[in-house]
Amino acid sequence: MIEPLKTVPISFKVNGRPVSLEVGAGETALHAIRERLQLTGAKEGCGIGECGACTILVNAKAVNACLMLAAQMDGTSIRTVEGLAGGGSIHPLQKAFLDHHAVQCGFCTPGLLMSAAALLKEHPCPDRRTIADGLSGNLCRCTGYRQIFQAVEAVAQGEKEKTQ
Amino acid sequence: MTEKVGAIGSSIPRRGALDRLTGASMFSADFRLENPLALRAVRSPHSHARVLRIDTEEASRMPGVARIFTARDIPGKNLTGIINKDRPLLVEDKVRFVGDPVALVAAETEEAAERAAGAVNVLYEVLPAVYDPADALANEAPLIHEKGNLLFRRRVVRGDAASAFSSCAVVVEETYRTSFLEHCYLEPDAGAGWVDADGTLVIIASTQNPHYDHSEVAALLGVEDGRIRIIQAATGGGFGSKLDLNMQGFIGLALYHLQRPVRCVYSREETFIATSKRHALIMEMKTGAGKDGRLHAMKCRILCDTGAYGSYGIAVASRAAVHAGGPYEIEHVDTEVLCVYTNNPVAGAMRGFGTPQVAFAHESQMDLLAEKLGMDPFEIRRRNALRVGSVTATGQKLEASVGIGECLDAIKESYEKARSARSDRGDSPFTCRGVGIGAMWYGIGNTGMQNPSTAQVEIDLDGAVTLYTGCADIGQGSTTVLAQIAAGTLGLAPDEIRMIVADTKLTTNAGATSASRQTYISGNAVRDAAAKLVDVLLTEAVDLMKVPKNSLAVEGGFVVYKGDTDRRIAFSKLAARARRKGIPLRWQGYFDPVTSPLNPDTGHGEPYATYAYACHLAEVTVDITTGEVTVDRVVAAHDVGRAIHPEGVVGQICGGVAMGVGFALMEEFKPGVTASFKDYHIPTANDMPEVVPLIVESSEPTGPFGAKGVGEPALIPTAPAVLNALSDALGKRIYHLPANLERVLEAANKRG
Repeated sequence: MIEPLKTVPISFKVNGRPVSLEVGAGETALHAIRERLQLTGAKEGCGIGECGACTILVNAKAVNACLMLAAQMDGTSIRTVEGLAGGGSIHPLQKAFLDHHAVQCGFCTPGLLMSAAALLKEHPCPDRRTIADGLSGNLCRCTGYRQIFQAVEAVAQGEKEKTQ
Repeated sequence: MTEKVGAIGSSIPRRGALDRLTGASMFSADFRLENPLALRAVRSPHSHARVLRIDTEEASRMPGVARIFTARDIPGKNLTGIINKDRPLLVEDKVRFVGDPVALVAAETEEAAERAAGAVNVLYEVLPAVYDPADALANEAPLIHEKGNLLFRRRVVRGDAASAFSSCAVVVEETYRTSFLEHCYLEPDAGAGWVDADGTLVIIASTQNPHYDHSEVAALLGVEDGRIRIIQAATGGGFGSKLDLNMQGFIGLALYHLQRPVRCVYSREETFIATSKRHALIMEMKTGAGKDGRLHAMKCRILCDTGAYGSYGIAVASRAAVHAGGPYEIEHVDTEVLCVYTNNPVAGAMRGFGTPQVAFAHESQMDLLAEKLGMDPFEIRRRNALRVGSVTATGQKLEASVGIGECLDAIKESYEKARSARSDRGDSPFTCRGVGIGAMWYGIGNTGMQNPSTAQVEIDLDGAVTLYTGCADIGQGSTTVLAQIAAGTLGLAPDEIRMIVADTKLTTNAGATSASRQTYISGNAVRDAAAKLVDVLLTEAVDLMKVPKNSLAVEGGFVVYKGDTDRRIAFSKLAARARRKGIPLRWQGYFDPVTSPLNPDTGHGEPYATYAYACHLAEVTVDITTGEVTVDRVVAAHDVGRAIHPEGVVGQICGGVAMGVGFALMEEFKPGVTASFKDYHIPTANDMPEVVPLIVESSEPTGPFGAKGVGEPALIPTAPAVLNALSDALGKRIYHLPANLERVLEAANKRG
C-alpha cells in the first residue's frame, strides 16, 4: 500500500524572491502565504472562493488563494499585495486608491488591488463595464465600488497619457 | 473660534489607508503571537433544547487539546447583553437557537480545536420551538425566557388617530414584511489575546465598542476593571454586528484560566450561524390624507422578531416606533411595536436599527396615497416634509437643521427628467422601466437615552498635540474626521494631530460606533477638549502680548494677533509657560446630546438632539420574463449638517446605496438554511447602479462645525426608492422584501 503524501516540497518565487517550502498536501496557498511566509496582506473572507479577499497573482493571473493548493504554487511566480509596488515606492493603483478614497475598512482592499492589477494588464484602457466585470469577483461591503472604479480609471488614464 | 482652512470640509487622505493598501495593517487574525492556542466554540444544532449533560472527557484527551470550558468555568456573571442581560457566554441549562455556544475548546492548532469541538458530547432534550413572532406571543407558545416571550413594547401616540381617519379623503392600509439579513462585513469576527507581565488580560478584537467589551469581559470573569485591556485591531467593517460581544468573552475566559496567548478566528460559516442579524419585521400600516395630500393620521402595528436573545432588540423596536411615520408632519399617530423572542438567530443592531424596515413601509404608503389622490409622488412628499418648527410624533419640536425639503428639492430636476425619459422609452416588449423616490429621517445617537462621549487633547512641551479617543473606526473614517475636528479647533493641519485610538488602557469611553453618532457626539467631545486647550494657550498669550483674548486666534501652531499676524507666539512656548504654573496640558472633552426619555405609555419625549434627512431617486429596468431587476441609477441627496470630509460622506452614501440594493432585491438570511456566501449574495461591482451623491448641508447648531451624521442614513432610502420604482415599472406593488426574482416575476405576471 502506498502511504498518502503528508507533505510536499515546493519551490517558487514570491514577490520576486525564491522560496522553498515543505507544505501540507491539503494545505491551501492562502494558508501557506499567511501562516508560513507571514504575508498577511491576503485575507481570508470566506474560504470558498466567493469574496476575493485572498486574491493573489499567480504568473500574473488573479487567483483566489483559498481555492488553490499550496503545492500548486510549485514553479510559479506569486505576487501578493506586499510585493505589488515591486520593491520601489507605491504602485500607481495604491496611490490612486488613496487619492480617490477607495479604501474604507480595507479588508477587501489587497484582493481588489491584485484583481485590478491583473485587469489592467489584460485591458490597459478598460471602460466602466470592463472594470466592473474584472472586479466582480471581489466583494466590498463598505464602498459601493464607485470610488474604486474611479481609482482604476485614473490609473488607466495615466498609463494612456504616458504612452501618447 | 478660528477655523483652520483646509481642516474642515477637506477630503484629506484617510488615516490608516496607506497601511491597508500595502498589506501592513494588522487585523485581528494577522497578529503573530508566540505559540498561541486556537479557540473553537461548540455550538448547538438545536433551536430549543435543554442541556442535560456536556461530556468533554473524550474530547479533552484528544491530541493537542489544552482544555475544554463549559459554563461552570465562568468565574463571574454568565450573562451578557448591552441593553438587557439575557445571553450566557456559554449555555448552562438551555439552548435557544441553532448556534448557541455550550462549550469552548482551547487547543494547540485550529485543526485540533475543530476535531475536539466535534467530539464534545452534549446530551440534549429537544423542546418545542417557535419561529414566528405572532405565534411566540400566543398563550400556549413555548417559553423561551422565563420572563416571557415579549421582550419589549414601545408605544408612540399623538392626537387621536382613530377619529382622524374618518375625516381623511383617502386611507391606505397594507402589511409589509422584511427578512433577516446578514451583515456580511468582509472581515469575519476575530480576536487574539495574551497576559501582560503585570497580569493584565490583553484582548485584541475586531469590534465596534471596545469599552463595552471591557466591562462585559470584566463582569464575566469577576475581575476588577484594571485587569482587562481591550485594543481594537484594524476592523474590517461591522455594520452593527460587532457591537455584540462575539469572541471577546471566549478569549478572556481562556486567558484567565490558561495564562497563554490565544487566538479566536471565526470562519465565514461561524459568523453566519453565531452572530446577530437584522430584525425581520411585520408592519401593518394605515395612513390617511386629505384631498390636498396632507397626511392626517397614521396607525402602525409592528412585530419585531429579535430571535433568541435581546441584543439591541429594544433599541431597534424603539427606533422603529419613533421613525414609523417617516420625515413628515402627521398630527395623529398611533404606533405600537412589540419586540418578541423566538428561536430564530439573534437579531441585533444592523445599520439603521429598524429604520430601513419602516422606511420601506412608510414610503410605499406615500406612493399608494399619491396614486389614490392622483398626485405626483414627489409632490405629496414635498407637501408633508418636516420643517423647522414641525412637531414630531413624540411631541418634539424641531428647532433647526431640518433638511428633508432641501433634499427633495435637490433631486427634483433628476426626478422630472427620469419620469419623462421612462415614458419615452420602450425598447423591448420584455422590459419595463420605472422611477421611484424614497425618503427618510434618522435621529442621531441613542433613542431617549444618555449616550455620552469623552476625549482628551494634550499638548507636549514641543507643541505637538495628541488626541485620545475611545472611538472605534470600523472603516467609516471616524479617526480621520475626529483628527479634522481637533485640527479645525486648534488651527493645525489634521496630519499634525497624533492619535491614540480605541485602547481601553489609554483612552476613555467614546461609546459605541453605532447610531451614526460618532461625528456628532464624539466630534463634539473632541471639539470640547480641543477648545479647552486653545483657551489655555490664548490665556497665556494674552498675558505675554497684552492684547484682549478676542483679538487672538490659533493658526499653524501659533497664537496670532488677528490685527497683525506677524505678532505670534509658538504653542511650545505657551505650553511651557502654562506648565510652569501647573496648568494642565491635557484636557478632557465631554458631550452628551440633550434628549429626554420617552414616556412609556405615550412615547412622548425628545429622543434625539438632531436628525439627519435624505431622499433617493431610483431608476430601474425590469425584465418581465425573468424577474431580473437592474437598478440603473440612484440619485442620493443627504442632509449631513456639514460634511467634515466630503469624499468620506460620498463613500458612505455609495456604500449605503449598495447595501440598500441588496436589501431591496437579493438579501435574505433563512434560519437553518443560509450557511455562507454560497447562498447569501450581496451586491458585486456588476450590480451597482450609477450613483449620483448630492450633499446637502443644513447646518446643525449643536454639531461640531455644523455636522450631524450619515453612516446609517446612507442606506435607508435606497430600498424604498427601488421598490417604488419597481411598482412604477410593473403597475404592481411588492410588499415583502427582498423583491427577489420570484416575487418580481409573480408581480409581473399579475399585471394587466
